[in-house]
Amino acid sequence: MALLEVEDLTVEFYTEDGVVTAADGLSYQIERGEKFGVVGESGAGKSVTALSLMRLIDSPGRIVEGAIRFKGEDVLQMTEAEVRSIRGNEMAMVFQDAQTALNPVYTVGEQIAEAIRHHLGYGDDEAREETIRLLDTVGIPEAEARYSDYPHEFSGGMQQRAVIAMALSCDPDLLICDEPTTALDVTIEAKILDLIEELADEFDTAVQLITHDLGVIAQVCDRVMVMYAGKPVEKAPVEELYYDPKHPYTVGLMSSIPRVGDTRTRLQTIPGTMPDLVELPPGCSFHPRCPYAEEACTLEEPPLLDPETGRPVGSDPTVEHSAACLEYTGALAEGLTYEIDVVDGPEGPQTPQAEGN
Amino acid sequence: MRRIYESEALHRDDEDAFSPSEDERSGRLQSFRWINASLFSRLLVPHRLRSWAVSVRIETPREEYPVGTAVPFRITMKNALPIPISIRTASPLLWTWTVDGYPEASHVPVYRPPETTGAFRFDRGEHKRFSKRWRGFFRVSETEWERAGPGTYRIGVELNVPNAAGKGLSDETTVRIVPESLRG
Repeated sequence: MALLEVEDLTVEFYTEDGVVTAADGLSYQIERGEKFGVVGESGAGKSVTALSLMRLIDSPGRIVEGAIRFKGEDVLQMTEAEVRSIRGNEMAMVFQDAQTALNPVYTVGEQIAEAIRHHLGYGDDEAREETIRLLDTVGIPEAEARYSDYPHEFSGGMQQRAVIAMALSCDPDLLICDEPTTALDVTIEAKILDLIEELADEFDTAVQLITHDLGVIAQVCDRVMVMYAGKPVEKAPVEELYYDPKHPYTVGLMSSIPRVGDTRTRLQTIPGTMPDLVELPPGCSFHPRCPYAEEACTLEEPPLLDPETGRPVGSDPTVEHSAACLEYTGALAEGLTYEIDVVDGPEGPQTPQAEGN
Repeated sequence: MRRIYESEALHRDDEDAFSPSEDERSGRLQSFRWINASLFSRLLVPHRLRSWAVSVRIETPREEYPVGTAVPFRITMKNALPIPISIRTASPLLWTWTVDGYPEASHVPVYRPPETTGAFRFDRGEHKRFSKRWRGFFRVSETEWERAGPGTYRIGVELNVPNAAGKGLSDETTVRIVPESLRG
């Protein structure tokens, strides 16, 4: 049994402007100790998926379909008290907006200590000591003195580290990191990513890492799910995704990574923007931006398919690499004509570069 | 930390990546914010008056579109009363647009709203405007679409209340889809 099983998760937001389907039929599993990456542009539904796992979707959002099983128990069927007992304890989250995540009227130390006292039953002094140790671990200088600081006295990066300390405080089984290093400089980012990896390896903590940064995914994750407009478009082990991407969107993301030594004067981008989730295009949601789109792409939306056989993978866990593109059903006349070049550098293979023809 | 791309202050596209957004502010009117519209409306305004107060209109810029062209339409909902109004809807789905009676031009249910009622709130004298597009396709199954052929189609809008047409909470217009060669 996997630690986390998400099955056909659909989250809709009922707004005046229409219904936003932020997550549409998402299914994935995370094993104990596994590092699972979720990547996509802003508005792809990554954060909504993460919030759904902890049942933190607020009105006007609703989880309208699906199941979320954590250690075999359906989170969606739990009482509020049951969810509260696992939230922050067995399943913790590093929020992307640390300033909003922290309560401005409590000291940073107290906010972390509160979680430790509540979930682990520590006394005041023990919780304080543990909090200072955690603040030190995540790189807050003079942790003991900063324990009594309020969030506004911390810099953006320090606030982010404090939120990470809070998430780590109860040694969770599943750590959901929603762009944990976006606000940090690269040295602290590397340190935090090392810390997350260390935790996953030492304590068998599973990590769901949400990010825009494919470099972060490559460094940390074992498997990746690429999301577009609320749907998964590709799922693969991290190396396969980098060296053999199967979906044009993934290829577009790869092409847009800047590289040292690249002679191009302009960065390659994916043309257009993510569609309005209230008004998705017919067929494959990516087709208006896809350089390989054909008439068939406007008439049919493919599910995740096994690129080898062209069969829908459903929730078959034996298929490791899947992509939602009609190419694998044989419906595209021209096919996908990109090439992947893996350039060997002095320290081994570098990030592959995709080029469309 | 609110980031610039979340602020909606900029409009981005390939031609002009950083131009100021032309989107209209979608915030609600500031007047009468201290009144709980739902409570006020529920306690003091009879249901018939609420339905009467709200008018719904749909319009398209043209009557004729070539096959394969998206049909834009604008929906205007207006509260004629100088007091806030709240209309109870059958589900949190407040309203829907239809093509030939098919919600969002789909032969299969698109959404699965929960079985709880919703409330569509209008501030005093408020106009709500929504711009939508019918892309000229009908969804025929969960995963398949068909292009609409030449012909006349009814594009409608209705609030999600029982007997919306009878209560005057719906409207419709017709457009002609013509073959490309007949485009005038």
